[in-house]
This record gives sequence, C-alpha cells and structure tokens, in this order.
Amino acid sequence: MIRVNGLRKRFGNNEILKGIDFEVPPQTVLGVIGPSGSGKSTLLRCLNGFETINGGTIECDDVRLEAGLSHADYRRRVKDLRLKVGTVFQHLYLFPHLSVLGNIVEAPVHVLHTPKKTAETEAYELLESVGLRQAARRYPGSLSGGEQQRVAIARALAMHPALLLLDEPTSALDPRRINSLRALLRTFVDRGHTMIIISHSMGFLSGVADNILFMDGGYAVEFGPTEEVLKSPQDARTKDFLDHAE
Amino acid sequence: MWLLCFLSSVEAQQVLRWGADPSGGAPYVFTDPANPDRYIGYEKEMVDALAQAMGRRAEFVPSDWETLVSALQRRSFDVIVNGLEPTGDRAQQILFSKPYYIFQLQLTVRHDDDRINSLDDCKNCIVGTLANTASSRLLQQEGIPYRSYADPVGAYRDLELKRLDAVVMDVPAEAFYARSNPRLKPAGQPFTRGLYVIGLRKGDEALKSEIDKAIDKIIFDGTLENILKKWGLWNDAQVEFQAPIRAGTQSTKPEEYTSTNATFNWSEALWRLTRAAAVTVLIALGSMVIAVVLGLPLAVGQWKGPAWLRGVCTIYVEFFRGTPVLVQLLFLYFGLPVIGIAMPGWLTALVGLGLNYAAYESQVYRASLEAIPLGQWEAAYSLGMGPLLAFRRIILPQAFRIALPPMTNDFVSLFKDTSVAFAISVWELATAYRELANASGQFLLLGAAVSAFYLLMSLPMAHLARLLERRLRDRTTERVVEEEALAT
Repeated sequence: MIRVNGLRKRFGNNEILKGIDFEVPPQTVLGVIGPSGSGKSTLLRCLNGFETINGGTIECDDVRLEAGLSHADYRRRVKDLRLKVGTVFQHLYLFPHLSVLGNIVEAPVHVLHTPKKTAETEAYELLESVGLRQAARRYPGSLSGGEQQRVAIARALAMHPALLLLDEPTSALDPRRINSLRALLRTFVDRGHTMIIISHSMGFLSGVADNILFMDGGYAVEFGPTEEVLKSPQDARTKDFLDHAE
Repeated sequence: MWLLCFLSSVEAQQVLRWGADPSGGAPYVFTDPANPDRYIGYEKEMVDALAQAMGRRAEFVPSDWETLVSALQRRSFDVIVNGLEPTGDRAQQILFSKPYYIFQLQLTVRHDDDRINSLDDCKNCIVGTLANTASSRLLQQEGIPYRSYADPVGAYRDLELKRLDAVVMDVPAEAFYARSNPRLKPAGQPFTRGLYVIGLRKGDEALKSEIDKAIDKIIFDGTLENILKKWGLWNDAQVEFQAPIRAGTQSTKPEEYTSTNATFNWSEALWRLTRAAAVTVLIALGSMVIAVVLGLPLAVGQWKGPAWLRGVCTIYVEFFRGTPVLVQLLFLYFGLPVIGIAMPGWLTALVGLGLNYAAYESQVYRASLEAIPLGQWEAAYSLGMGPLLAFRRIILPQAFRIALPPMTNDFVSLFKDTSVAFAISVWELATAYRELANASGQFLLLGAAVSAFYLLMSLPMAHLARLLERRLRDRTTERVVEEEALAT
C-alpha cells in the first residue's frame, strides 16, 4: 500500500531523516515510536507532502514521490499523494465555521465533486460508524475532545484515502477513551483501511498496530511485527527506550 | 504732554470692525496678489472712505461668507460689508443700512455652448452659483437645479470641466473671474437689479444712522464714484441710483429694486435634506462596496504576494492612511481634471472614500487572515484542496468572523466621513446643514434634524452587524465557553 525507500530530509545542514525504509501492507497498521526529536513528525509531514524530501522515494498506489523532481512536477505529485493519504492531525484542525456534517462533506463535494446528496449520505454512514450520527448538525466548538477526534477521523476517511495517518491520537484522551479509540481504529482496519499511527503510548500501539517502526536520531532503528519489537527488541536503543517508557 | 494728548486722541478714535469673506472675494475684498499681507478691493476702499467720514478707524475681520450673519451676531465684528443683499429672511436677523450699490446678475456658459441664452434655457441643467446669494435664491425660486460653491473660482472651473452647464454670479464677481477667460462667455445680458447694503446687529440703530449718513456723504462728494470707476464697476445703473442723492433731493427707495426674497421654506428644506440624505447613503454604500472589494486583494497582496506586490500594496496603504481624506478628495476633484479625468462631485466622493477606506479594510482583513492558525491551511491541503479553494472555503469565512466587528466600526465612521464631501460642493447632509442653517439661522433645529438623519442611517447598520456577529458567535464558540464552564 505504501512503500518508503531511503527517505532523507534535511533542514539546512541538519539532517532529520537519514534514510528511512519501511512498507505498510494493505489492511495493516504501522505504529511509529521513538523519543522526541527522532524525526517521527517530520516523517509524517513528508508522507502527506508538507515537507519536500531530499532523497529516497515514497510510493503510494500509483503515486511516486522522489527527490530531484522539478518544482511543478513535485507539486503535482504531492497533490495526487494527498488524495491517497488522509491525515488526522494531533490538534485535529476541524473547521470551526462548518457543522460536523459540513466538515465531512466539504472536501468530497469541492475536491472530488461528489454530488452533495451522495456525500451527505456517506457522511452519515461515517458518523454512524464513529457513533456521532446525532451530532451531524452541531458545530465542532460544541463537541468534547474525543468527539472532535472522531469527527476528524470521519473527515479524513470521507476522501477514501488509501492510507490514514494519525499523529499522536492519544495525547488528549483519558484511558477509557484510549480504549474506545483503539477499538474504533481496529474496526476500520477490519473494513479494509491501512494506517500509520505516530504515538508515545506503547500500550495503545501494542493493541492496534501490526508492525512497529522505532526511530531514533533520524534512523529507522528497528522495524518488525509489534510483538517482536515490543517483547524482544534487537537494538540497544530500542531496549533502552522501551525500558523507560510507561 | 502733547504726545500723551495725541495718544489718547488716537485711543479715543473709535474702531469700525467690518467682516467679509476675502477668499475668492475679488473684486469686493481679497488678498493683494502682489502683497499677501494686504487686503484690497472696492469694498475695502469704500469702508476706508466710510470710516474716514465717520471719524473712525476701519479694521477688517476676515470671515467666512456663509457664516457672516452668525459671526456678526456673535460680535466678531460690527458690520458686514460683503455685497450683502437685503433679503426678507436676513431682515429677521439683522439690520440693514442704506444701499450703496446696484448689482445685476450674469449667466456664464462655455464658449462653445449655444444651448443656453437665458435662465429659461436652464430648466434641465445644473447651474453653479455661490451659496446663500441672490443667484442661489433666484435659482431656487425658478426651480432650476443648482449647486452652490464657496467661491467663484471653483464654480467657473467646474463649468470649464463640464461638471456644470452654466454659472450665475453677481456681475462684479463675474467681471473679475469669468469675463477674461477665453473658454467661457456671457450668455445673454445682465438681468435683475438688486441692492448691496451693509448689515448691522439688531439694536445698533445709532451706528446705522451714522453709516447711512456716511454713505450719503461718499456718494454726494463723488468718492464712491471714483472707487467704482477705478474697479471698472461704474455703469448706468449706478448713475441712475446716485443721481437723486447727489442732487440732494432724496435718497433711494429700496422698493424700486428687486430683491430675491426667498424666505425660508420648511417643506422645501426638508425635501432638500432628504435628498442630501439619499446622496449621503449613495456615497457611503458605494464607497463601502469599493472598500470591501478592493481591500481583499490589497490584504492578500501585502500578506502573501511577491516582494514587488507587497511593496506596491504597502505604499498604497500607507499613502491613503497617512494623508487626510480631505486632501485626497480635493486632489481627485481638482487635480485629476488636469490629466483629463473630471468626475462629478458625488462620484469623486464615492471613489475617494472607497479608495481611502480600502486601505483601512485591507489592514483589518490582513490581521484577520493572519489570525487563522496555519493548521487550518494544512488541514485543507491534506484533504486535497488547492490554495484557492482552501482560501475561499476555509480561511476566508473564518477571517470574516474576526473582521466583522472592526469592519462595522469602520463603516459607521465612513457614514460620518461622507461629510468631507462638502469640500467639493456635493449636496450631502453636512453641506445641506451648513447652507440651510445659514439661510434660515435655524442652527439648532436643523442640526437636530441632520443628526437624526445620520443616526437613522448608522444605527440600523450597527444593529444589523451586531445581530450577524451574535448569530455567528452562537454557532461556533459560545457552546465551548459553556462547556468549559461546566468542566471547571
């Protein structure tokens, strides 16, 4: 579904990503962990085109992003990439001037030119699946943090992305909410979605991720099935990080 | 000792303080072009002669034509000598001396215009004149649309620029300002005969008889004739008028002369006020549209544009914010015709205020746009929107909510700023107030009426904006506040 090869990102002389490789097979979840400053967020911003990569490739379905393209070509491919990759930001960034329904149908109607009726029917189905059907006419400002997050997930999924990125989805949730989010994401995976989740919460990832990528200092230090990486890490840095986590 | 006596005699010599409007005041009284510290004019010389005959020392108090009567009543000076006509409405406020001059009116048109030969041809034209004069009253009586000016220069210039079809003016002013202009020509012969008198405060009967005697004296001994001849104002009408006095038989009977006796008409005044209000609304709404529309590209240019565009937008904003709107209007009205763009007054005001307020609106927009978190852009982009779509659908509507209160503020003040249009003779509320109040002396009543008109326009708008604000706020933020209150 998505394949990343030798991904490099530099800010000036400061190289943040020093050659990252991984692959996310369809209908699986990749959890990305690592200490602050390891390059997790930069990786995410490369995957949805907010940073221009300096080396390597990102392939998602038939879209291939690589370094050294002309500016116009790169932008065109980023635009295609964004139609494949949906993002749920850490701070969500719901559109406060639109209702919950408006938030969800905005992009399908104006970007994909889906008829409004169709988009709304789909939006209600999505709201149903995140348990917020009754909130369709409310405004984001009147929802709780957990509800807002589920709207943001529904908004991203409304574009039928091949891949869903979630940035620190547990940072603002209490433990009970974390459990229900885990269950919710699992149901979406069962329905065929593919995800990359960046998180600090090992407990959360162990219940939802199929594979884990551990990053440190711009390197993909360890990549493997969740069980293996969490139970028997091969690298000392991974071991050290896991020992100090939670 | 004799020095002391001399000084005290000088002090004892009474002063005759006289008021007139010297700006555009030729040939009555005006600044000497050769020596800007000195005033000259036939009335200046006449007052000097009168003062000498009265054993007084003349002292000139420069004033404003339209407020002469109220300035006289405020005791800014003792007499008005400024080609004043003894009209019925003035008679209720002040006292008149004997007449000293017979004036006529002259119609002026562009040299290549053969449509107009008399006032009767002017029913469908716009005629310029001085505010609150015999001509303006005559035009009002005849029901001819007219525009009043503060000085003859402006009126004749607007005639040249085709903003007017004709100008009517007292012959002395017409002779001085229009006769020598090759682009203008007199239309028909001088018409009507009116009187110039000196205005005094009610109750100043002693001063009146002193002045009447002095007028007779300078007519009798030929002093006035010499002055008028020197200024090219001596004519048959004066000969006829002065003859009986110089023969020592009798003085003139004012009844023999027409005076444009337009007494103040309240229903007419209200109609003119309403029309002024309509013009005010037109200017305000029109310039608002310009400001709202033009403000946006300015804001975006200054915010996201390339360096050269940012520079251009910044220069525009700083120019229009940093110079007075009055100066901008005067420039548009009098300066642009030099390069061939002569807009009518109302359009000049509309465009000028629009350009001016666009600078202010652009800053409101820019601040509001910059207040939208970057995350909103990224969220829109991540959903596949392009920059234009994201701006139009996501950023702009949010910025509008932030911009609304300061915009309302600007537009209420724009309504009031339309009053600067009086400087370019647009008949809007402030001009209407000035002219009607000066014509009637009803400063208080008309002031209240004009204020009511302004409030009638600005209050509903402020109210509407508040409603809109509240509706938008209810939807988006108020429930958050509620929820936060519950949480704590």
